[in-house]
Amino acid sequence: MHYFLKRVLEIIPVLLIITFIVFTLVFIAGDPIALLLPEDATAEDIAALQAALGLDDPFYVQYGRYVVNMLQGDFGTSFRYGEDAMLLVLERLPATIELAIASILVAIMIAIPLGIWSATKKNSSIDLLATGAAVLGKAMPNFWLGIMLILVFSVTFSVFPVSGRGSFSHLILPAITLGTGIAAEMTRLIRSSMLETLGQDYIRTAKSKGLRTGIVVYKHAFRNTLVPVVTIIALQTSTLVGGTLITETVFAWPGIGQLLIQAVNNRDMAIVQACVMVIAFFVIMMNLIADLLYQLLDPRIRYK
Amino acid sequence: MKRKLWMLGLLVMGLFLIVACSNDDGDGEQEKDTDEKTETSGDNRTLTIALGSDMVTFDVHDHINTSTEAIHVNMFNYLVKRDNETGEILPDLAESFENIDDLTWEFKLKEGVTFHNGDELTSTDVKYSLERVATGEELKDYTNYNQIKEVEILDDYRFRIITHEPEPVLLNRISRIASGILPSKYIEENGFDHFLQNPIGTGPFQFVEWVRDDRIVFEVYDDFFEEKNEDWDQLVFRIIPENSTRVSELLTGGVDIAVNIPPADWDRVSDHEDTYLAQETSNRTLMIFLRSTEGYPTSDQRVREALDLAIDNQAIIDSLLGGAGVPTITRVAPGNFGFAEHLYDTYNYDLDRAKELLAEAGFPDGFEMTFHSPRGRYLQDAEVAEMVAGMWAQIGVTANIEFMEWSNFVELRNAHENEDAYLLGLGNSMFDAANGLDWYNAERFEGETDYRNDEVEELLAAAMTNMDLEERNEQYIQAQELLAEDVAHIVLHMESINIGVSEGIDYTPTMDEMIYVDTITRK
Repeated sequence: MHYFLKRVLEIIPVLLIITFIVFTLVFIAGDPIALLLPEDATAEDIAALQAALGLDDPFYVQYGRYVVNMLQGDFGTSFRYGEDAMLLVLERLPATIELAIASILVAIMIAIPLGIWSATKKNSSIDLLATGAAVLGKAMPNFWLGIMLILVFSVTFSVFPVSGRGSFSHLILPAITLGTGIAAEMTRLIRSSMLETLGQDYIRTAKSKGLRTGIVVYKHAFRNTLVPVVTIIALQTSTLVGGTLITETVFAWPGIGQLLIQAVNNRDMAIVQACVMVIAFFVIMMNLIADLLYQLLDPRIRYK
Repeated sequence: MKRKLWMLGLLVMGLFLIVACSNDDGDGEQEKDTDEKTETSGDNRTLTIALGSDMVTFDVHDHINTSTEAIHVNMFNYLVKRDNETGEILPDLAESFENIDDLTWEFKLKEGVTFHNGDELTSTDVKYSLERVATGEELKDYTNYNQIKEVEILDDYRFRIITHEPEPVLLNRISRIASGILPSKYIEENGFDHFLQNPIGTGPFQFVEWVRDDRIVFEVYDDFFEEKNEDWDQLVFRIIPENSTRVSELLTGGVDIAVNIPPADWDRVSDHEDTYLAQETSNRTLMIFLRSTEGYPTSDQRVREALDLAIDNQAIIDSLLGGAGVPTITRVAPGNFGFAEHLYDTYNYDLDRAKELLAEAGFPDGFEMTFHSPRGRYLQDAEVAEMVAGMWAQIGVTANIEFMEWSNFVELRNAHENEDAYLLGLGNSMFDAANGLDWYNAERFEGETDYRNDEVEELLAAAMTNMDLEERNEQYIQAQELLAEDVAHIVLHMESINIGVSEGIDYTPTMDEMIYVDTITRK
């Protein structure tokens, strides 16, 4: 419990550092006014809107104001939408969580059987095929894969809807797009982890006792490969976030990724900050959950 | 241990199912909507239009965004509207209008017009709407309306708009973005935030829901003051940012109309048996702005003319824009007040003369220059910049192109750090030469392009407040002739609007880039 509390409290300075970095980067990247006004805006128009939005203040004043407001629960107002930035982000959160969980499930469903299979049939043609598939899965950019899946399964065969969010069938193609890259990485890891475990003495003992291969592999070996698998799933959360930016745009999926891309394009500082805060919070929480899961998976691990 | 793992697995699955079944409303409505949509699409009572970006807001005064306005025009009405064919200003909410004196216009509203909550439209709503944008400095369209001093109510249906200065362009001004009339009583009673969440207008369609970055749904308003459309019960705008996805949705029948079809996909849309490409010339001109600042080669009229003569505008249109686009020498297009017909649909191209002019100007071997260009902002902008640079190379001018991300490009211009030339596309929602030719105003562009032509200055200043429309028209035409002769900047072409449409639907895009659903019918 003490450990858990300590880890939770550590989140606060991390998030503060993140706000500073993001604020600085967006500030350096350019003035949002340029994007809020049309081509024919005059210098006076620009100055007037800058003053109205408080963007004519120096950096430290703007950042200070942001932090003070943030500590009071006010994450600022979107320049573009004129609404509370955090509410806009939270509104889209369910869509992104839905896609993220579906992608992880797709990855697990592909990676676990494939990883175990290729480890137990080491150097066979199945192993080579699985390794090749993993390399291919990792090498295919989400953007390209998404468009290809749409062309094949939506345009040519009309099996799934092209884009949007709604029914379960809307979820399948984006989840496969996002899950493939993660599956590739997981497959490789499960394979090597399984190979290592399968070489252990206790596995030989189990085999020599005459246990069936299935029991040896799934009950004795696989359980012990779970610690690195959980680690990779937790670490993949950040990869997942990067993936959602592209996948959500390709599939017109109304989640945080799409919102963040537009906010960056529009220099919508408040939205960028709120998105990054929420994403950072999730990544940190996922790492924390992974740490706690280790204890569950391996009773020898104890945190103090 | 095994049980724990099972429980963990079940927990993850359970979480997934909860989220998968939930949606922004949290009650599964969205799935139902989608199913209903598919069903109604079958008998074509729902029109689904795919846009590239989401609507910004329902605050009509605070967006300056063409695609947002394209949605708003179906829900709000202006006092008057522009006929896209003739450019004539026609009554909309106003039954009649009259210019009383240089500063005063009198209007009479149609009686019996109601907002979507049943409230009747009165002069109070007009006063509230126009004065809000004319005085609200924080609103993005403020500078386009602060010419209005006040709206004086005469009675429930009659009012006067009083301007600070003579405003020959007032009718154009109030028939564009930010002129939609808002329900003052509804806003007063419920607050503006409530209005933003539950907007109402006087238009043919009323608001149902807005799922951000996903869809905006409207349904037909039965008590619309003009003829009710017979084709559509429901109107859905879907947000699909990725071009190829938007095209795929069109080809598979997921949407009925898809905007901004990129040139690479024109053939896919045209060749498909269920879709066609609807094209129209837009009011957006692609131009190359040149520096007339002393010390730059382009400060010499002969150099500017040589650069213009070296560009084969039609070749750009044919090879990069699939033939869609119109070459022009002026940026005031047909349908705009002050249009000079003889300068439109034509261009100057003469390589030999261009070389002669360069030699006369003291650059027989050409010169090197910097050419800034945005990338991805306008139709094929980067490709156009490259092709222009290639054409200039033929007369010995080496243009070093610097492609820039849009906001950096705008900052470069604002900081007056632009060099010899930059590429820019300019729209004109006012449909008046005043807006178009303001780009030649010496004071405004001091330090940026430094172009000055005193004769043009005088003509533009006089026309700006000239209430004699015939004389004003002449002044603008004369100014455009002088600018063409002087080659102040290089005008390339008018861009095209490219919209993919399902075969079963009849739709012709309009020059103002609005989507008037009332004009979209089933075949």
